[in-house]
Amino acid sequence: MSNETMNIANSAPLWIMAFIFVGIVMFQAIVFLRIAKKSAPGIGMTSKEVKTAIRTGFISSIGPSFAIAIILVSLIALLGSPLTLMRIGIIGSAATESAAAEIGANAFGVGLNSDNFSISAFTTVVWTMCLGGMGWLLFTAFFTKSLGNTQKKIEKKNPKIMAAVSSAAMLGAFGYQASDQMVLSVTHTIAGLAALSSMVLIMLIADKVNFAWLKEWALGIAMVIGMASAYFTTLF
Amino acid sequence: MSLNPEKVTPDEYVSRAGAETTNSMEIFHNRAHFWGRLTLFTLIIMCFIPPIYMSFILDAHPGWGAIFTGLVGYAGFIGIMWILEPITYYPTLGIAGTYLAFLTGNIANMCLPCSVSAQKAIGAKSGSRKAELAGVFGIAIASLVNIVVIVLIILGGTYILSIIPPAVEDAFAFVLPAIFGAVLGQFAYKTPLYGGIALAVGMIVLFSPIFSLIKIVVCVVITIAIILYLEKQKD
Repeated sequence: MSNETMNIANSAPLWIMAFIFVGIVMFQAIVFLRIAKKSAPGIGMTSKEVKTAIRTGFISSIGPSFAIAIILVSLIALLGSPLTLMRIGIIGSAATESAAAEIGANAFGVGLNSDNFSISAFTTVVWTMCLGGMGWLLFTAFFTKSLGNTQKKIEKKNPKIMAAVSSAAMLGAFGYQASDQMVLSVTHTIAGLAALSSMVLIMLIADKVNFAWLKEWALGIAMVIGMASAYFTTLF
Repeated sequence: MSLNPEKVTPDEYVSRAGAETTNSMEIFHNRAHFWGRLTLFTLIIMCFIPPIYMSFILDAHPGWGAIFTGLVGYAGFIGIMWILEPITYYPTLGIAGTYLAFLTGNIANMCLPCSVSAQKAIGAKSGSRKAELAGVFGIAIASLVNIVVIVLIILGGTYILSIIPPAVEDAFAFVLPAIFGAVLGQFAYKTPLYGGIALAVGMIVLFSPIFSLIKIVVCVVITIAIILYLEKQKD
């Protein structure tokens, strides 16, 4: 990116827009916390359970958030801070977004890293990333209601089926994601298996000795054990 | 609202649960649709502002041809996921979870793991009303934590990252297999057979000659089919 382009990419108007994006995400999260809290007693969820769920979400999200932030730094060098903030804070992952940026730059006929990455090239990238990422937003905004209605119809016919589908869908998604990552290298396999087995162990212990708090920390602990075991095997 | 929440057994499914449970969930869903759509549409409109600003206020318009080429390239690269991802993740995310997760992003590597952890921490059964709400708390908090961490890192820039010991940074190279393995473990400890099936299906689909973007969908569909079949055998 040329200096001139970098200055524009980090200029005040783009920063302001980026913070509006961030504001919308935070606003939505806070609104949903409030409406969920209001409905909790009605479905028999105690305030203690609400607190546990919130605490668990907090503990579990710290590790993944830092992982996301580490990848994000590589994007800042390519796109400047505001656009990175707009894209990573909202739907999209670091991998998708760097590919999107490359596609946008190529559409203008330059590479992302090239010196002749002009302001117009940057503008092409902005168009590609902002409108390309909108696909998911449009689909969820328009069709989540229909998905909900379909679910209700299925539940009316067979109330038990949704529960099975729900956990099976999760198992399927993560069975694939875990396989996809674990075949990358032996070290990745070790990370996956170590995390998997420590999670099973933690949950079994938590059930046995009735340590409810242990379940709140389970994801964090299992993640650290998985990452640490993998890291130590790279030292040999 | 129930005055006597303890009376409603937590993990009952909607048809068997009391009218009050159905009712408060109905109200919750309506609120979720309203706020979910409002925030998503606001963001959709906002998405037009940066490109329009660049093109027409800064006068750096690259020409519609380049923009069109970029968008077609993007759609060809990942456009199919605009539709497949929300449908694939809906059964686990639920209504409110879908609005939250698709606004904040990082669904597989953050939202879902936090949702499941919150559900397991209070011992809610998958698919139950309680699990749905616990998941919403998990994802909403994760979204907030994520945005705060990202803003801190961006503002604090590379300084914060420079104080992270290199060993820790190296270990983060293995964060994805660790997260995915751990989430699989969260299911496998109660139903090890299903965990094994999911991993086996995952491996088989991974090495099958299928268009790579839809592999995850194929995997989810096959796993659902097998597990529904096994559950039916039990009855």
